[in-house]
Amino acid sequence: MLKRSPLYPLHKKLGAKFTEFAGFEMPLQFTSIKEEHLTVRETVGLFDVSHMSNVWVTGREAEKLLSLTTIEDASRIKEERSQYTAILREDGTIIDDVIFLHIDKDRYMVIPNAGMDETVTSWLNEKAEEYNIDAEATNVSKDFVILAIQGPKSRDTLQKLTDVDLNTVGFFACRYANVSGEKCILSHTGYTGELGFELQVTPTDVAKHIFMDILEAGKEYNIKPIGLGARDTLRLEKCFLLAGNEFEGGHTPLEAMLSWAINWDHDFIGKEALIKQKEEGDYPRLTCLECIDKGIPRHGCEVEKNGEKIGVVSSGTMSPCLNKGIAMAYLNPGFQKEGLEVDIIIRGKPVKAKVVKPPFVKQDWLKTHKS
Amino acid sequence: MAEVRDDLKYTETHEWVKIRENIAVVGITDHAQSELTDIVYVELPEEGKEVKKGDELCTVESVKSVSEIYAPVSGKIVKVNKELEDTPEVINKSPYDDGWLVEIEVKDKNELDSLLDAEGYKKII
Repeated sequence: MLKRSPLYPLHKKLGAKFTEFAGFEMPLQFTSIKEEHLTVRETVGLFDVSHMSNVWVTGREAEKLLSLTTIEDASRIKEERSQYTAILREDGTIIDDVIFLHIDKDRYMVIPNAGMDETVTSWLNEKAEEYNIDAEATNVSKDFVILAIQGPKSRDTLQKLTDVDLNTVGFFACRYANVSGEKCILSHTGYTGELGFELQVTPTDVAKHIFMDILEAGKEYNIKPIGLGARDTLRLEKCFLLAGNEFEGGHTPLEAMLSWAINWDHDFIGKEALIKQKEEGDYPRLTCLECIDKGIPRHGCEVEKNGEKIGVVSSGTMSPCLNKGIAMAYLNPGFQKEGLEVDIIIRGKPVKAKVVKPPFVKQDWLKTHKS
Repeated sequence: MAEVRDDLKYTETHEWVKIRENIAVVGITDHAQSELTDIVYVELPEEGKEVKKGDELCTVESVKSVSEIYAPVSGKIVKVNKELEDTPEVINKSPYDDGWLVEIEVKDKNELDSLLDAEGYKKII
């Protein structure tokens, strides 16, 4: 039985086409993936991302538990700040990538991926017990609707509905805020690479009017509701990882282009394995490929150099902004040099591609694209 | 509601066929293009290639997925719609006219009898 967002009836009314994702039936698109994608890049879009999970981590030693179980030193993350990080197994492989929000003293909201709520909750509780840490994880995913409002006009849109001055909410800041008259957790975060905010809304029955109020507030900017189709293409253009694609079967953060997120100055589960892997150096690395020939790489396509297999595509699509095939692929060490040409094998045929620096779509895309 | 044209024949796999003497013009239906969503790439076959009914004819890709299009009849591919290589979105805009995919020189006209008429196709969508 597929789970649904509390906003499912509203999406249906708005004309959504649905798709299955990680056990949820969520909107794939409302009008067109391409159109929705460009709406977020050019103005503003509204997502229901309630398939994502919500886990409270509370208790006197909540910070200690998060430091132990993530690659981030949680003591660095002050109250009303949030952080993107990853939870690892002892062998260094990624269980899930999450954002945690430091809401107030000894209280954190962790946002695991869709369908990962129970796995992450039990992992955190097991580790609390094993290491004798006074903290507790509670799965509250069912109690929350998560909305993401993303795009250059997201701030102007949301500002109409809250008395919090959004210019004072810095990147990755989080706080309680009244939005549309309802108390929400507001954070300056997102998964599109654009200016954007996310709202954790509880109880879920108030989410519908907030959703409609945001659509109304964004009317002058031609806001649109956005489905998971565009969410995937938006994140891929910015080289953000997708659970199930980039760390399906357990890649490590070193392999998955997350070295920047590892805080080596603290002890965490998986650290020893990462140190060993780093020393040995002989591991595949997530690499960005842009097609030179026509063709669309997809998850699972093999990558070759001079006829030899050197890796496999973890995510691929047609970039709506660049109008080219783009892919992230795990390639053997030594094949990461910018400009290096490789072949992506699509339906048995080699399609020429080159290694590029992330992200595929740069920050100034809108400016350069408009001119 | 997806458009189904009365003057065309259809397959259960959502291709349409228009018969002009011994030539079958083939495309995908309005229903199919709407289900596939934004079409961003078409891999067309070589002209001159022989196909059998039910063979994979070409591949149509949307942002999200890859779909195989099957030959509704057997014969030689005499023409492909090269315009689609640069403007695949035409299939979304005009699935029955400008968005045609290939022309097949029909080998055995009896095969056409097994295709669905508009009424038959409407029942399956």
